[in-house]
Formats: sequence, C-alpha cells, structure tokens
Amino acid sequence: LQFTSVEYILGKVFFTTCSDLNMLKKLKSAERLFLLIKKQFPFNVPSVSKGKIFSEVQRLINDDPESWLNVISIWKNLLELDAKKENLSQRDANPQKIKLGKNDTIIAEKLKTEQMQETEETRECQLEKQIEETLEQGDSLTKREKFQEEFQNDVAKAVDTHNENNLTFRVSCRCSGAIAKTFTAQEIGRIVGIALMKQFGWKADLRNPNLEIFIHLSDIYSVVGIPVFRVPLASRAYIRTTGLRSTIAWAMASVAEIKAGMFVLDPMCGFGTILLEAAKEWPDVYYVAADVSTSQLLGASDNLKAAGLKDKIELLKVSVIELPLPSESVDVIISDIPFGKKFKLGKDIRSILQELESPVAFGTIELSCCLLSEAHHRRLKDGEGRSIPLNSKGGHTDELGVAKCLIPEEKNGHRMLDKMPPFGSLVPMECYKVSLGKTDAFIYKYKKSHSSGL
Amino acid sequence: MKLLTHNLLSSHVRGVGPRGLPLRLQATEVRINNVEFNPDFVARMIPKVEWEVLLEAADHLRLIEVPKGPIQGYEQDETFLRKMHHVLLEVEVLEGTLQCPESGRMFPISRGIPNMLLSSEETET
Repeated sequence: LQFTSVEYILGKVFFTTCSDLNMLKKLKSAERLFLLIKKQFPFNVPSVSKGKIFSEVQRLINDDPESWLNVISIWKNLLELDAKKENLSQRDANPQKIKLGKNDTIIAEKLKTEQMQETEETRECQLEKQIEETLEQGDSLTKREKFQEEFQNDVAKAVDTHNENNLTFRVSCRCSGAIAKTFTAQEIGRIVGIALMKQFGWKADLRNPNLEIFIHLSDIYSVVGIPVFRVPLASRAYIRTTGLRSTIAWAMASVAEIKAGMFVLDPMCGFGTILLEAAKEWPDVYYVAADVSTSQLLGASDNLKAAGLKDKIELLKVSVIELPLPSESVDVIISDIPFGKKFKLGKDIRSILQELESPVAFGTIELSCCLLSEAHHRRLKDGEGRSIPLNSKGGHTDELGVAKCLIPEEKNGHRMLDKMPPFGSLVPMECYKVSLGKTDAFIYKYKKSHSSGL
Repeated sequence: MKLLTHNLLSSHVRGVGPRGLPLRLQATEVRINNVEFNPDFVARMIPKVEWEVLLEAADHLRLIEVPKGPIQGYEQDETFLRKMHHVLLEVEVLEGTLQCPESGRMFPISRGIPNMLLSSEETET
C-alpha cells in the first residue's frame, strides 16, 4: 500500500493513497475505512451559543457542496470498479486488476476505537494506521452510475441506475469532548440530515440507506466522512467466531515480532483469534493454542477449519499454570489474559506471568506479550516492592527472584514503560494502551533476559 | 495432535524431575493428512526436534521411513525434508494417550486434542 501524507490524530489515521480497494481491504489493524469529506478545526463550544453552533454545523454542508459531491462521485466510482471486478471474477477464472484513476485519490481511514501510545519511535506503519486523506479528483466522471449492495466478495448485485438526486442516506454522529456536553449526537445528526436534504435533495432512510455519513465532532477536529466498505474491516472473512477484536489481535501479533521458524504459544487462547490473525500474516511459524475449556477449544477448532488453518495451529487442553513444556522451549508467548465478567481467572495475574517465564527462551528475539486489563495493570505496578513467592512446583530451573522496583521518571511518552517493573527475568519492553470499545486494555511486551533475578 | 507437538511436550506431573520427561505416546486412531510441503518451515523445525523422543513415538505408531537423525546439509535435501515433513506434520493422532514415564499418569487424546489438565476441574464459560 502506498500511503502519502500520513497524519495521526487520536484514534484516527488520515492518509492519501492510490491503492485499489482490494489492497485496502487487507488493512489489518484498522476498524473502518472512510472517505473524508471534511476535516476542520473543532467548534468552539464554550464561548458560543447553541444556535450559533447549529448554524456552524449547517455550514459544514452548505459552505462547500462541491466537495461533498466530489466525494460522492469518487465513492460511486470506487463501488463501480469494485462491482466490475466482482462481475469479472465471477465470469472467468482470472480476475483482472483494475487500477484506480491516476489522479490523487485520497481516502480517509478512521480507526473507530484504537489508540496507540508509543513509547518508541518508528513502529511499522501498519501498526499505527492513523491516516488522514482528503478526497480530491481531477477528472469528472463520465461512467454510468451503478451501486453495489454488498461489498463482500461473494455477493455482487447490480442495483438500478440512480442519479444523485435519488440518494438515500443516514447520518451517524459521534460527539466527544466539550461539544458532547452541549449537544447530543442525535441533535447534531438531525441538523446535518436536514441540511443535506435541503442542499442536495437526498432522502433520509434509516434502515437501509445507499449512503452513510459519519460525523465525529471532538475537541481536536470535526470530521465528516463516508465509509468505503459496508462491512467494517475488522470483521474478517476468515474468522467465524471472534473473541478478541481482530484488529487488536493482529496488532498484538505484530508487536510480538513473530518470525519464520518460531514456536508461538497462546496459553489462554479462547477461540484462537490472536493466533488466527498471526497465522494468516506469518504462516511459516509453529503455533500452539491452549486453553482449559473444552468448549472454547471446540470453538477454536471450528475457526481453524473455517479459516483453513488446521494445519498451522495445534490445539492443546492444558492449564496455563501447569504448562507441560520444558524450560526455554517457546519463542513467543502471546495471550489475551481473561478479565471482565465473562471469564474467571483462577489464579492471580502475577502467578500467571511467573508460570510463563520458564518456558520462554532466553535471548534477544524471544519475548512474550499479553493483553491486560486496567486491574491487572494496576496489580502489576503495585506489586513492585514485594517479593514474588516461588511457585508451588518448585521445580523450575529458572529462579524468580525479587521483582525490582523501578523509580519512575515521568518523561513524556515514557511514563508507561518506567512504571513497569521487571518481572523476575522478564524485562518489560513496551506498553501500549488500546481501547476495546467500552473498556481499555494494555498490551505489554516483555523480553526475557539473563541479567535480572538470577 | 501432530508428532511435532508431541515432541515439544514434556511431563509436568508433580514430583517429576525439573525438566520434565517425554511422554509416552500410544494411539488408537491415527489419520494421515495431506499438508502442503513447505521446505523452509520444515528445515527450521529440524533443530528443535528431540530425536529420541521422535523415534520412539514413530516406533509406537509403526511409522516407516523415519530418518534417524539430521543429515549433513539437510536444508537442501528435499527427500530428507519430505520425510520429516510427513512424520512431523502429516501424521495426526486423533485418539490415544500420553503417559508420564515416571508417575504412570495417563493423559487422553481425544478428537486430536490432548487433555493435559492435571486437576480434574475445568473452567467452563
């Protein structure tokens, strides 16, 4: 994917690209992809009356109808190309690749609920994915207008020709920050809807509109866009039942730096989402998924079959605190540690980490990575001063020693890292905060080193 | 359960020595799968293989044509790699048992998934 003029803002990535839809469908860490219509500075809420803000919102639409129409045209263009591709691929065995116009096609990508705070510079582009793109088009369109019902590959229905005046639409509005205190999302949505109807003559259809308009008003920006794909990118064709959000699963696998020839274990795999994402991206790796629950393992087995990954991922029924693995046999341990009401965690988070410490091999490549909730995160931080009791087995070759307490230095951006004490011989490397919708979580990355503890 | 997995497992029964011991494999139902041959992947797995464990398991399963150990220049030797590919990745134990050689404790393999829970309780969602 060739992205230019990339810009990150809090949960959204804006970028410019010339890639076609198929390539864009492959974006793994993004939730949804939008075409940007407008991006501007936030509304100044406190100092201005409600009525004034209403008119400001209306101006979003009325000030610049051209840009709206342009974006809609591009959107239709994209759909058409996609529809053509689908029809072609259904007719003959070799689908032809249709390239988008040579002009700058810029697409806005909106990450619905993903936030990454980096402690290091320069992670790969794929991880962050906060890109802004504004759509601009040089030529005018002369193609016949066709709409596509579904954007999924197996279904491609051609809809009757519509011209722009017969568009049906729906407005989805999200408000955060100061503006959310003055307005509800519905109010803003209504204003926008009415303005759109007046300006372009479109009709509102809440149930099954042709076009969905997304608006996000926050303290940092006001953004308007339309989704490129009907179905969010996060719903993967190859996963039948998801546990963890697939975007986060992919991100974790990415952070873990999985390389060919490694042995990767997920000791609390659930439905296997993390390893599924990992196996799709890094296939030359030996994966083992383990869980204590039969029903979860059967779900995972289902997922594996559906994804065609039965040969890549082995299943084991085993408890994470009693892993039948010799010391230092695993290259990477990656897991979504259960939390919340859905699952019970038999043992404390710390004893889990203790257990994982032994099988992980030494060296620079080997590391483990896990997703922890706020509560776990706090417990890991608080436990700094106390010593970790040796585990009940007592038979490990690796001594655990005392967790050292790091005196945190509150540098900007490095805050997270400093507050994470080393865990026995596991040294914390990175920590990312991610949003899972209603709750937040953290991705911790540890590496095993020779120095501490022993 | 593939033989590659069996090779990496070790007994975690209490009282068994610090490094655990390889588990004795018995099978009542075995299936041979057709797995895409990836020579690069197989070559990378070879250094991880515990050969004695593998040979014993292969013996119990009455497999033939199992290489006795890595040969010189195995990375380029397709015949060798194909044999290893077959043994490690294509043979799947669907039903059987794993036994800890020291304690005698048996762990069942059912529908291809070994159950190695030490305590009999499970966490069901």
